[in-house]
Amino acid sequence: MGFSATLSRNGRIALITLEGELDALHADDFRNRVEQAANGGQIDQLVLDMTDLTYMSSAGMRGLVFARQKMGEDIRIVLVRASDSVEQTIRLVGFHQSVVFSDEVPG
Amino acid sequence: MLELTLVVSERSPMADNLCAVVNSDGMPARLVSPAEALAGWRAGDRTPDLLLVNAALNLSIVRQLAQRITRTTSRPPTVVMFAERDFRELEEHVMAGLDYIIPPFLPGLIGSRLVACHVRQVMSRTTQDIQTAANLLKYERELQIGREIQAGFLPDVLPSRSGWQLTARFQPALEVAGDFYDAFELLGGARIGLVVADVCDKGVGAAMFMALIRSLLRHTASYLDPGSQPAGDEKIDPGADAAVLVHSIATTNRYLTTNHLGQGYFATLFFGILDPTDGSLVYVNCGHNPPVMHRADGTQDLLWPTGPALGLVPESVFDLETTRLGYGDLLFIYTDGVPEAKDANGRFFTEESMLAIIRAQNSGADELLDVFERRLSAHVGFADRSDDITMLALRRQPEYRAPRGRRSAAATPPRRGRAVDGSRSARR
Repeated sequence: MGFSATLSRNGRIALITLEGELDALHADDFRNRVEQAANGGQIDQLVLDMTDLTYMSSAGMRGLVFARQKMGEDIRIVLVRASDSVEQTIRLVGFHQSVVFSDEVPG
Repeated sequence: MLELTLVVSERSPMADNLCAVVNSDGMPARLVSPAEALAGWRAGDRTPDLLLVNAALNLSIVRQLAQRITRTTSRPPTVVMFAERDFRELEEHVMAGLDYIIPPFLPGLIGSRLVACHVRQVMSRTTQDIQTAANLLKYERELQIGREIQAGFLPDVLPSRSGWQLTARFQPALEVAGDFYDAFELLGGARIGLVVADVCDKGVGAAMFMALIRSLLRHTASYLDPGSQPAGDEKIDPGADAAVLVHSIATTNRYLTTNHLGQGYFATLFFGILDPTDGSLVYVNCGHNPPVMHRADGTQDLLWPTGPALGLVPESVFDLETTRLGYGDLLFIYTDGVPEAKDANGRFFTEESMLAIIRAQNSGADELLDVFERRLSAHVGFADRSDDITMLALRRQPEYRAPRGRRSAAATPPRRGRAVDGSRSARR
């Protein structure tokens, strides 16, 4: 039931790989990675690899909103391989128009 | 006074001498090497109440030693350093606040010095304990105050109407919650506003946004409300309730996205306005878990979102939807704490169980929420409650048909269970 968020960079793409359950306990880890990605130099896209993300609570959703704010309008946020339940959480809240869903990591 | 002193040092004439001096002052002492001391204590070993440590050992080792003893005995030892030759070795220990002795180690003097150090350290620990306890108490009192203030943001009583049952339950996971519910009269009492909301995340931050959002909604809803002005009694503009709904939702969203977007807080929310005379309900669902409309015939509809969560996207569009509660229909509005309540193994209560409970229940609103409370608490057991749980149930009582030939019985509506039956306070 743990959670991890790791950040890597590939040119102008920042990739954060999310694993486990993103709940209130771990929301800060995610936000810290987003902050690092935002402060690590110019990027065009923030890619969140959700292949191994099993659950996202509303606190995790808040991290996503935070990322949207932090990144500014012209940076795409791409969610890769979000599970049905995670995608449903995002769509239910109405945040799907602020991000892009994808089946593979761009770049 | 001191039951056992451990002299922690590699063997040396001075360490041997120090050990002998302490013993001769009537206090049992034993010499152990740092490695022995770190290796830990065997069962049956007596616990030292004082460590007399060679200053040649660096500070982190001294800390490890003290921690190890504290962990096994739950009583931290008094630590006193001694310098063998090089007094500069004492420096880091003295800076860290440790007591020390230096040669010559004279019988009589050493004994009384060690006792004095011990008494001083025990007393200062007691003071620290009291301070910690006091801080904790202050923190708990502040949270208690937070909880009481938050309770003031929930309605004292729910509006009641003849032929309707309205009831709600609220269980915060922590001392303060991000969930809330509300029910209040609108349009001079001709309509009833119903709100269930969930501010994302938990704790004090969510609680502050709960207070803000609740106030904004209620304030905008009642200020636009033409019924709040002393004019035209029974006449309500068609669409007046829709106007109240659209205005309060849009205003609240604009306020949040203008002033608080950077904080990333948002709220999912269901806001419905009921006309108790015909059962029609006009509503907006802002990204909230879809409330369940359970029909008297056993079918269920879900009232899906009509727009995004509040505070998420500037200038969002929120559509209005309408539905109607017929006789015997029940509307169940809830927050995700219900389907996502976790048992000790991390398993969710699930939406399926939730819908099944509603389907199986064919009595009053209160009874339904009682069943939910029991089932949820059985599911969660001794696991930590992970999320706030809020439920609101609105039921239109089945139409009362008088038995043929007994006309007098038809004059009064039936009263069942602990239903909130509002014959007392009709509209004002």
